[in-house]
Amino acid sequence: MQPDKLLRVAKWEVTKNAGGVDKRTIVVMALSLVAMGAVAAIAVSGGTGAGMDDGIYRIGVDESSPYYGVAADDRTFDIREPDPTAIERRQQELLYRGSQLQSVPRTAKERAALAELRDSTAQYNDRTLARDDNQTAAFPVSVTLVYEQQSGSSQLDPRGGDSSDGSGSADGSGTSTGGSGDGSDTGGTGGSATSSSGDGGTAGGSGANLGAIGARLTGDVQGGTPSDISPPFPFESLVLAFLYIVPMNFVIQAYGSSMLSERLNRRGELLLVTPASRGDIIGGKTLPYFVGAVGVAALITAALRFGNIAPAGSYVAVLAVVPLVVLFLSATFCGAMFARSFKELTFVTVTITVTLTSYAFVPAIFTDVTPIALISPLTLVVLDLTGQSVGLSSFVFSVTPPLLTGLVLFGLGAGLYREEDMFTQRPIPLKVLDALAGGINSRRSALKMSIILLPLVIVAELAAIAFLFVLDSVSLNVFGTNQSLGIVLVLGVIVVVEELAKSLHVYAGYEHARYERTLRSALGIGALSGLGFFIGEKGLLIARLSDLESLPIGEAALQGATLPAGLPLWVAGLLFLLPLALHTVTAAISSVGASRGRRAYLGGLVLAIVIHFAYNFAVVSTLV
Amino acid sequence: MSDDRPIWRDPRVVVARRDIRSLSREKTIVLALLIQLFVAGFSSFLVVGLTSLYDPSSVAAGEVEMAVTGDAREELEAAAAEQDGTSVTAFENETAAQRAFNQRRVDAILRGDYVPSTRGPGEQIAVTAVVPEGSIRSTLIVVEVRRVLSGLERQERLERTPYLDKPPVPLPDTVSASQYFGFTYTILIPLLLFLPPFISGSVAVDTVTEEIERGTMELLRVAPVSLLDIIDGKALGMVLLAPAQVLLWLGLLSTNGIAVSNPAAILLFITAVTVVVVTLGVVLGITLQNRRPAQLLFSVLTLVLFGGAVLLPEHPATTVAKLAVDSPTLLTYGHVGGAVLVAVAGYAAARVYIGRIAAEAL
Repeated sequence: MQPDKLLRVAKWEVTKNAGGVDKRTIVVMALSLVAMGAVAAIAVSGGTGAGMDDGIYRIGVDESSPYYGVAADDRTFDIREPDPTAIERRQQELLYRGSQLQSVPRTAKERAALAELRDSTAQYNDRTLARDDNQTAAFPVSVTLVYEQQSGSSQLDPRGGDSSDGSGSADGSGTSTGGSGDGSDTGGTGGSATSSSGDGGTAGGSGANLGAIGARLTGDVQGGTPSDISPPFPFESLVLAFLYIVPMNFVIQAYGSSMLSERLNRRGELLLVTPASRGDIIGGKTLPYFVGAVGVAALITAALRFGNIAPAGSYVAVLAVVPLVVLFLSATFCGAMFARSFKELTFVTVTITVTLTSYAFVPAIFTDVTPIALISPLTLVVLDLTGQSVGLSSFVFSVTPPLLTGLVLFGLGAGLYREEDMFTQRPIPLKVLDALAGGINSRRSALKMSIILLPLVIVAELAAIAFLFVLDSVSLNVFGTNQSLGIVLVLGVIVVVEELAKSLHVYAGYEHARYERTLRSALGIGALSGLGFFIGEKGLLIARLSDLESLPIGEAALQGATLPAGLPLWVAGLLFLLPLALHTVTAAISSVGASRGRRAYLGGLVLAIVIHFAYNFAVVSTLV
Repeated sequence: MSDDRPIWRDPRVVVARRDIRSLSREKTIVLALLIQLFVAGFSSFLVVGLTSLYDPSSVAAGEVEMAVTGDAREELEAAAAEQDGTSVTAFENETAAQRAFNQRRVDAILRGDYVPSTRGPGEQIAVTAVVPEGSIRSTLIVVEVRRVLSGLERQERLERTPYLDKPPVPLPDTVSASQYFGFTYTILIPLLLFLPPFISGSVAVDTVTEEIERGTMELLRVAPVSLLDIIDGKALGMVLLAPAQVLLWLGLLSTNGIAVSNPAAILLFITAVTVVVVTLGVVLGITLQNRRPAQLLFSVLTLVLFGGAVLLPEHPATTVAKLAVDSPTLLTYGHVGGAVLVAVAGYAAARVYIGRIAAEAL
């Protein structure tokens, strides 16, 4: 790869675009971006007040009823004349005379309406009482929330072990009242937690920051009364996630179009015959979009920082976005290499958007809660913007898997960036096999491919953990062992992903006649593939960098990669070698299947998955 | 155009059929449906997952054990007794409560004391709530703590009513209601139903620009059809896709026990929206002739349109929600009618515009 050639391709990519887009388009584009900004501003400021749930419940109430004001203040309700026959005709959900509910809520809608009315009444009371002269009677209870470490161990709270200093905060009651008093200034109950308790631990601090930024974004947080307590739900991470992810979707759309149009009418041939190498072309064509996407992220961070919304934003946030950009671009690149037409590319792009957005988004929701959050680099962005420091090991844990995955995807796509593949039309699954077979030369390639595909496996497994750990508290009785539903599902996902990663490239190799179709060769290739995976799997040790294994679900997912301490040497050795045996055996089974055609491959794969699952489940049940 | 041809030989219908067939050959429709299924599953997972963190009754997460201490512990105990998901133990002294917390015998400590009010004359109850840090369960515990303390606040307000200007409005009784009811109708259903129009429009951009970029538009032009016929056919194919998907969704939802009312009105509304979006896509495709700028502009403009719709008296998503939940008003039907008008007028205007374009320029 030569930098000057790469830069020349990049320059060409940029100028070709500038020439291809006329001034009118640019003007329309600029205008619509301004309009979008205006719409976003209106939506954020709540200027119009129109909500999605306006008027979905109809309540029959007249002005004599105390609930008239409640319903009038909540746009979810549509106020009608009280009419008992309207209830029977299902044209009203609730009927009030005075303060008495006259209708009996039966249908799901009527019950939901009543529950909604209860919530609005509580809010209405808080609002009206805030104007009352006697504030002591209006708000007779003041609250201070203190987050504290519990010592000892519990299945549900895995963060045990590090003991906190017992009754340290027992003398805090005097100060805490003061704390709650000025809680309204700091703008969050988390804020009062820090001011009152010296030993509240780190969560108090983070709560303060999040509360503050939440207050700035919503503008309605007050401290002190029970209704002001909010669970550590990082509202801002939702907003920020969209802020950083949305521009990426526009970038990948342009990038995908550009890449696919190279494949139309053999246009890409012109570039392929130049002295520039494949890497130069792909790198050069990707660079402008990469720079653009990272540039937008930098602009957003700068705007947040100098717009005083998140004054703590720094280069860390921009760096954390880089792996996401690489992941989006690489997935789009593969999509553009696989797709047969623009129409197909549109569907592929939508799939990529949805999948990667959820990958970035779901873990980031739990920013405050667990190490799960670190699976998504977006969490680093949230942490950085809220002014919390990001440790190096957390950074590496969060950034490495997506970055490597992106590079692997670029490599797979690049395997197709050549004359004989670029201009042929094949269904996407066959193209995937083509891309995999591109890296296979000899039998030893099986080992190499298993290792290369590992980042994909890790990202998929981490995503599965992030998605399923919510179910961790649901317990399930499988074969007499008491495992949580989350663990069982995670094991299932992991087994499927791993077996696919070990065998799909073997199948591709057979389909492309890279391997001999003999039993001996199939067993050998399977064993090599399993060995490669085993070596690569030690890469999962990266999870040690975070506290992921401190959660039962994380521990279940990572078993085999890390060894429990304090075992006799021979047991440790056995535990070390058992996974090797397992991976080799299951890979050999699916490999033998792959050598005998598609049906046999599927059969072999299923058998391998079953064996693998049984093994994993047994290990988790005995060790965890 | 000669009139003796049967309808299925009409060039517009032929073009539409050809486009739809090419889609189904690529199996991308299946992919699109899978994506939408994923989006629906994902968003409901997100909400179910998240709300279950907040609501102890939604998942069998067990009761929250609280230790109460301080002068106001009796009031706290009474308030906690009203909550289902909570059980309390009173502790005479704080060290014992703290020990129970550290040994995980209780999930939270509530320490209530009567103190002079910071808000004016009189006394208030200052509660310090200690909750465990940094676990998924702490969210649930905080929610329970809030419930108990809100109950305490209500109780205290009731006792102090004589001092208030106006008594607080009594809370309606609790009922067992699905907490996902509002979400289903106001977010999930509109999300599902607006995705097909968007995809249809996006594919309309593709189908037009692809013909132009590949140079196959010229081949089509050699056939005895006008440019308008081709565009009509392409638009027709894409417009038909959306209601078909909407019907599929409505069927799927009703088999899942989510009743969607007014299906005919919803179908009409979504079709009208699809016509508007597809018209936009076709016009952009014809004007820009290049997928990249056309597609980019299409997504930006659709976003602006959808976002800008908050300026309407009722957002289109709310229109769909109100129709689906069976709370339509005159305004809702007005929006459906308005959408149909806009669709017809928009498409007529687009036809005039396309008719003026010299087909040779493509």
